[in-house]
Amino acid sequence: MSKIEDALKKARSKASSLNGTPLDPEFPAPATMESPVSGTSLDLYIESQRSIARMKEFKPLSAGELAEQRIVTPGMEVDGVSNAFREVRTKIVQAARGRNCSVLVTAVTPKAGCSFVALNLAVAFSLDETKTALLMDSDLANPAFHNLHGPEDGPGLAEYLETDDLAAEKIIHPVGIHRLRLIPAGKTQNVRREHFTTVKMRHLLAEIAERYPDRYLIMDAPPILSCPEARILADACDLAILVVPYGKATEAQIRNASQAIGPKKLFGVVFNDEPSLPSGLWRKSNGQHRAV
Amino acid sequence: MAVAPMAVAPELLIKNLFVETYRHKGLVVAGFVLFNVVAVILGLTLAKSYVSSTTIFVEEKNIIQPLMLGAAVATDVTERSRIAKEILFGSRIMNQILEDAGWTQGSPSDVEKERLVEEIKKRTSVLNVGPKLIKVEYRDVNPQRAYLTTQKYAELFLSESVRNQSKESYEAYAFIDNQVNEYHAKLIETEQKLKELRSTNVDARPGTEAEIAGRINALQGTIERTTLEIKEAQIKQASLEKQLSGEAEVSISMTREGQNMGRIAELQTHLDILRLSYHETYPDIVRLRHQIEDLKESVTYEQQQREVAGREARESNQIHVDESLRVNPLYAQLKRELFETKTNIETLTTRLNETRHLLQSELNRARRVHAGEATLVEYTRDYEVNRDIYQDLLRRRENARVSKNLNRDQQGLTFKIHEPAALPLRPSGLGFMHFVLGGLILGTLLPVVAIIAFQQIDPRVRFPALVSERLKLPVLATVPHLISPVEIKQSSTKMKRYVVVVLLTLGFVSTVSALKYLEII
Repeated sequence: MSKIEDALKKARSKASSLNGTPLDPEFPAPATMESPVSGTSLDLYIESQRSIARMKEFKPLSAGELAEQRIVTPGMEVDGVSNAFREVRTKIVQAARGRNCSVLVTAVTPKAGCSFVALNLAVAFSLDETKTALLMDSDLANPAFHNLHGPEDGPGLAEYLETDDLAAEKIIHPVGIHRLRLIPAGKTQNVRREHFTTVKMRHLLAEIAERYPDRYLIMDAPPILSCPEARILADACDLAILVVPYGKATEAQIRNASQAIGPKKLFGVVFNDEPSLPSGLWRKSNGQHRAV
Repeated sequence: MAVAPMAVAPELLIKNLFVETYRHKGLVVAGFVLFNVVAVILGLTLAKSYVSSTTIFVEEKNIIQPLMLGAAVATDVTERSRIAKEILFGSRIMNQILEDAGWTQGSPSDVEKERLVEEIKKRTSVLNVGPKLIKVEYRDVNPQRAYLTTQKYAELFLSESVRNQSKESYEAYAFIDNQVNEYHAKLIETEQKLKELRSTNVDARPGTEAEIAGRINALQGTIERTTLEIKEAQIKQASLEKQLSGEAEVSISMTREGQNMGRIAELQTHLDILRLSYHETYPDIVRLRHQIEDLKESVTYEQQQREVAGREARESNQIHVDESLRVNPLYAQLKRELFETKTNIETLTTRLNETRHLLQSELNRARRVHAGEATLVEYTRDYEVNRDIYQDLLRRRENARVSKNLNRDQQGLTFKIHEPAALPLRPSGLGFMHFVLGGLILGTLLPVVAIIAFQQIDPRVRFPALVSERLKLPVLATVPHLISPVEIKQSSTKMKRYVVVVLLTLGFVSTVSALKYLEII
């Protein structure tokens, strides 16, 4: 037992050094998974580390490309954006308590920056060497990550749901960021909404969860108030994050959205796109992007 | 549902204001440019104007008021400027001004004139500056014209007022004069009526009634008294007649004949008694019968004697006094009294009738006097009323005549120019610089104010604190806006453009200001 405890402690200290915030298993979270996992063995942990290290990687994106894609980079130490996503990641990890976890990111209104939050949250997970993130674009009507998707442009979620004999591995693509995989929305248009309720979708979610240990599935969902798919996905996932854009959603809309998700699944609100003063802009541009 | 930003700390609100201002910098710059350009255009078009004013002193009283006390209502102070406006904006004065102040140089058509008049009216303001002062102000871009127009206003207002006033006083005089004549005619008529009534009704004078009443009373007393007296006399007459019927007219004295007749009767009685007891042959009876025989003879003789004597007296027309007859004195006295009483009754009856007649005539007279007196009172009253009014009107007519003459000689002026119009040297109103400054200030402030207003009324959530406090939802993180390099480039170009636009605007404004300033010099 002491070995296992030691290993856990080690793993936690490593994670905390990366996150900048100490992990506390007793930290109260608004929504937690049903049972904490206490039996994570050291072997399992080492195995997971190995399997993560064995992950096939695509050619990494340069810092300039990352900035172009509006992706948080490890160099953005001073930036509030990076810290914000790390904070969210930490809270999710605390709530998940070591188990694989699926997180739904949905917005109150369209154009709320939902995909931006989902992508950067996934990136934040991938920054931790002990964790992998899988970003799934479930907003089939407005696919967001086509810029991120690799050059071969393989099949996506839509193709998987429409085709019977497509393996789950086929739709998971590396994107040039370590420990981050993407399931793109796919190119097939007019996918029936009922697909989200099928056994195939549930099977996909289960398979993804079991593929790697310490895998975090981030689902980019359409706005909850305008699309019923978001509600279906909210039922299927473990936690849901509501993105509230600055100056775009009213109090009533936020209340309705939180009720649509339900208090059981709603993990919290991410207040997105808060504008800042130009002085910050100049500093940012001088200190960071100019260097790139 | 509006979000009340009261839950948010003020420093956050202020910070948010800056943030929002920066976010809407395009709008702010557009507002700034718009306000400045509009202000410059307004400043150029709305040139300064020159104001000339004149003050007219107005006396409280109008001319007819003292003349017709209580008949006319005094003009209200607040109404005065309105009345002055009515006079000033009358077509007579307006046309005169058009001509005198040099508006009709281009010989405008009637429609143009109408328009010009409207314009002048618009630029004229009439104010009550004091209880007796009216200020007429006129605004024009041309100082000379402003001065001329204002001067004309005052002049024409005065002359028009004087004209009105003299007309008014003349009319007042004419009216009163007319009334005087009317009342004079009435008075004469009443006088005539009164005279006629007096001549036809002599009795009709005061006091007659009382006198007549006294007389009627006296007559009625007399009638009552006379009636009583007549009744008394009649009763006396009746009683006298009763007494008279019981008395013989003549009393018969005892004559020989009578004595013999008496003796016969005595003897006869005695004889009858004796016959009851004795036979006819009884001596006493025989003697008695002889005696009666003798006596009867004597009586017959006596009667014959008397008849002879009477016949002889009648034949020789000699009064024969029957010695046996004699007049009754009491009877005679009663008869006399009866006569007297009858005479008295007759006298009294005559007097009664006479008095009654008098009473009737007196009553008739009283009736006549009553009717006459009512008419007299009516006429007298009419006369007195007419006389009073006539006298009053006469007095007023004299006043009116004086007022009229005063006005004719322009001595009783109630209007005068308190402060004459002056040529305005300095323009008034907002200058070009005011407009430019206003444009700069408004252009800077109003967009910010608009943003503040929008921030207040916009129900959309801008503060994460609102989500956690009001909606009780956990806020995991607040993600600041992440700017991509492209955006940075775009925003810096935009910023440069905005700076250029603002500088251009400022340059435009300052250039126009400088030009304007130079033009003025």
